[in-house]
Amino acid sequence: MSAKVAIVGIGQTALRTSADDRIYHEHDYEAARLALADAGLDRGDVDTVICSGWDAVDGRTISDMHTAMSSGGYLKDSSHVGEDGIMALAYAYMRIAAGLFDVAMVTAHGHAESSFETVSNVVFDPLFVRPLGQSHLVSLALQANAYAHRYGVSDEQAAGVVVKNRGNGAVNPRTHLRSSVTPEDVLSSDPVCYPLRALHCPPQSVGGVALVLCSEEMTRRISEKPVWVTGIAWAIDSYDLGSKDLTSLSSLSSAAQKAYGMAGISDPLRALDLAELHDITPFHELLAYEALGLAPEGGASRLVEAGDTARGGRLPVNPSGGVVCGNPYGAAGLLRAAEAALQLRGEAGQGQVPGPERALAHGMSAPSGAAARTDCVVIMEGG
Amino acid sequence: MAKRVAIVGVGLTRATSHRVDVSYPELVYEAVSGALEQAGLQAGDIEAVAYGSMDPFDGVFAPERWNVEACAGAGVANLPLMKITTGGTTGGSTALAGYYHVASGMFDVVLAVASQRVGESLEAQLVLNTAVDPIYERWQGAGAITIAALQGVKHFWRYGTTEEDLALIAVKNYENARRNPYAHLMRMLTVEDALNTRVVSWPLRLSDCCPSSDGAVAVIFAAEKRARAIADQPAWITGAGQITDNYWAGDRTWYEDWDSLSMLARRVYRQAKIENPLVELDVAELYNAFSIQEIIEYEALGFCEKGKGAELIRNGVTTMQGDLPVCPSGGVLCTNPIGATGLIRVAEAALQVMGKAEDRQVPDVRKALAHAWGAVIGFHTLMVLSSEAP
Amino acid sequence: MTQEEENIIVPGRWDLPFRHTAGRIASHFFHALVEKRIIATRCPRCRRVLMPPRPFCERCFVPLDEWVEVKQQGTLEAFTVCYARFTGLPDPPYCLALVKLDGADTALNHLLGEAELEDVERMKETVRIGMRVEAVWRDEREGGIQDIKYFRPLA
Repeated sequence: MSAKVAIVGIGQTALRTSADDRIYHEHDYEAARLALADAGLDRGDVDTVICSGWDAVDGRTISDMHTAMSSGGYLKDSSHVGEDGIMALAYAYMRIAAGLFDVAMVTAHGHAESSFETVSNVVFDPLFVRPLGQSHLVSLALQANAYAHRYGVSDEQAAGVVVKNRGNGAVNPRTHLRSSVTPEDVLSSDPVCYPLRALHCPPQSVGGVALVLCSEEMTRRISEKPVWVTGIAWAIDSYDLGSKDLTSLSSLSSAAQKAYGMAGISDPLRALDLAELHDITPFHELLAYEALGLAPEGGASRLVEAGDTARGGRLPVNPSGGVVCGNPYGAAGLLRAAEAALQLRGEAGQGQVPGPERALAHGMSAPSGAAARTDCVVIMEGG
Repeated sequence: MAKRVAIVGVGLTRATSHRVDVSYPELVYEAVSGALEQAGLQAGDIEAVAYGSMDPFDGVFAPERWNVEACAGAGVANLPLMKITTGGTTGGSTALAGYYHVASGMFDVVLAVASQRVGESLEAQLVLNTAVDPIYERWQGAGAITIAALQGVKHFWRYGTTEEDLALIAVKNYENARRNPYAHLMRMLTVEDALNTRVVSWPLRLSDCCPSSDGAVAVIFAAEKRARAIADQPAWITGAGQITDNYWAGDRTWYEDWDSLSMLARRVYRQAKIENPLVELDVAELYNAFSIQEIIEYEALGFCEKGKGAELIRNGVTTMQGDLPVCPSGGVLCTNPIGATGLIRVAEAALQVMGKAEDRQVPDVRKALAHAWGAVIGFHTLMVLSSEAP
Repeated sequence: MTQEEENIIVPGRWDLPFRHTAGRIASHFFHALVEKRIIATRCPRCRRVLMPPRPFCERCFVPLDEWVEVKQQGTLEAFTVCYARFTGLPDPPYCLALVKLDGADTALNHLLGEAELEDVERMKETVRIGMRVEAVWRDEREGGIQDIKYFRPLA
């Protein structure tokens, strides 16, 4: 792969519980303006716009009629992925790699105009599964239980992941939940969907994320602090929950292997300086360690217990606090890429990992939770 | 620079108002297996999937999830799959996504799939109404038909286009559809019949409006080396693009002109090195969901001057026997599985270039144009397909 | 499996509750409608008066916070009359109208009332692009776009 693509602009709005003073696509607008300012560009410099999100969550068919405008797309070439924003990054990467565009705007928003659990039920087929009450979180809980049961992951071990991430989030002014929790807090929180408790589950946050991507030539001309995308891959897994192994994430393994191949990584635990993962539940952060080759099957929780993935550990995971601290639904995956890029620029503030050179960002795009989930892995390197 | 990319296989499904004989994954499987068969490929040859649908029509949100294995076993194989949705342009946008997958150099053989079961929804216009902004405009009862009717009212008012002109468009498309086994409406229609159908939304009569269809389509894109090995005559992509116009209905002074489509056409013709589209194009598959739009598209795409679109149909220029046949398939006016429709335009244009359009084949097609509009007429996509690599 | 077997159709229905935030810009506009005033945002850069009011100018890509009041009379820019009945949509016939209010650069999407719509031929004689119209207010206004009942032809 010879094409080089860089992230040259990062825009994040403050995450919060609700934002009744804004129409939903203003999050894209605010994030896009911040990303353009960060890149030192204006709307006229943008060649292509890729928006993201799920229309049924926004309550509007063809939501990109609004979000494309908010992202600077008027009279430009735009498209829209019905996915988390991380997949918009993937699409923009391809458009630039093709040599047909120089500057791409990628946007995502979370605005919570409906309950995602209610909406996600209608992703499931109406014939066999939908009437059973299957949803995003229900299917993820099913998977968490299968994994915990097979490998004997204890409640305390799962709580350890939450405690780590909430501790990181407590010093990240950009995230939503900025308070640490104790293992006892997690273990005594209300059961939501066995084995998931309230503090295992991410909040539903409101906010926007935007990235400006550039071709190599344009990057060299305009950017003093580029973050290069050196590997990117995505993959989907099976829809049928009954016919796949729930105790591993095959789509994430597949994406990781391809991304590592592109970036020339053979030993990720040594090669990476930090990772931002889509920890939709603590069990899924552990599953991700294994899929990413950071731990052997069933061995992920030992990494947390040893402090290897804490902010000062061998491979800090979710120094931003992760999704359990901030979850703008539809933008949470792209936010992982934004946070990883900030780290590589040394601009992550109090949560900064010292001198990172190479980072991994993982975004999950999964309207039906564990069924046909898509994982996207992005490897980035500082300029 | 971009890799050379061609279409090497197309699969279409039968389209009816409700395909009660198949479940959703079966419908998609029908299209995908057709494309694999035409290209002589196995499911294992597919490296990535771009999937398009406009969700609410199906009554299944994000149906690519349920249908994932119908896409060449994409779930089991952990393939990269990307969901594209942009309203009526969804199919066109999905074709563009398939093209960029290959043009990026990351993939050599990519499957673009689009599907829609409009027949599963009891009222398509109500679903389309959810595309309208819920704060200011949704209450008012707008849908695709009323927006197209606004275009008609303004085109009549400014250019003197008549109901008879619309009837000529309908008659031409209905006649073409009778030679297309994948068309939904396949019946005779005369000008007199057309003018006797009821007014749906002034000035559009029933024969000026597309049906609601169930259908799916699959198109295989391949990088140059693979394309030459797979197909005797690949359909090369020589120009492609999308344009995004404002969504505020009241900002548009151009209902009769579609200036954004003209702007996109100039960009795409420049890529494809087309100077005189009427002369250089051999066939066009336009997104004529409503008869008036085909006339406006002639003008916006530079087949004639503004306001002269009706003359092209009056003079038979765009019939099968004319200089530039438009919609040999019968077009959207005769078949409209919404999210799939834009990709069907690309598929039909590719079949024409590949010489595989059977009874609806236009002789010696070297250059074909595929168009889609969507998003309450705010978006357009175009793709130029050619018998010669760029 | 026999040929005669019936294909089963499973009924479906989406009934998903939403709460759509209007945001501060549309909210300010709606509050003004309660007082029978029609206001719009003006772009500080291109100076267009944008109706309906919106939070940013998509061409200049700058935020909008300057308000101007526009007139309650305007010109019919485009219209259609819907004669077909669609489930869940208004009863036919109804006239969708784009009205460019005096003082605004873009048109408001609304309805035309007090016009003869029932008969197509009669409608064609009475409803015309370019005709002057004015807002008709509801007596009970709640802060929403339908506080304007419709626009009617100006005598």
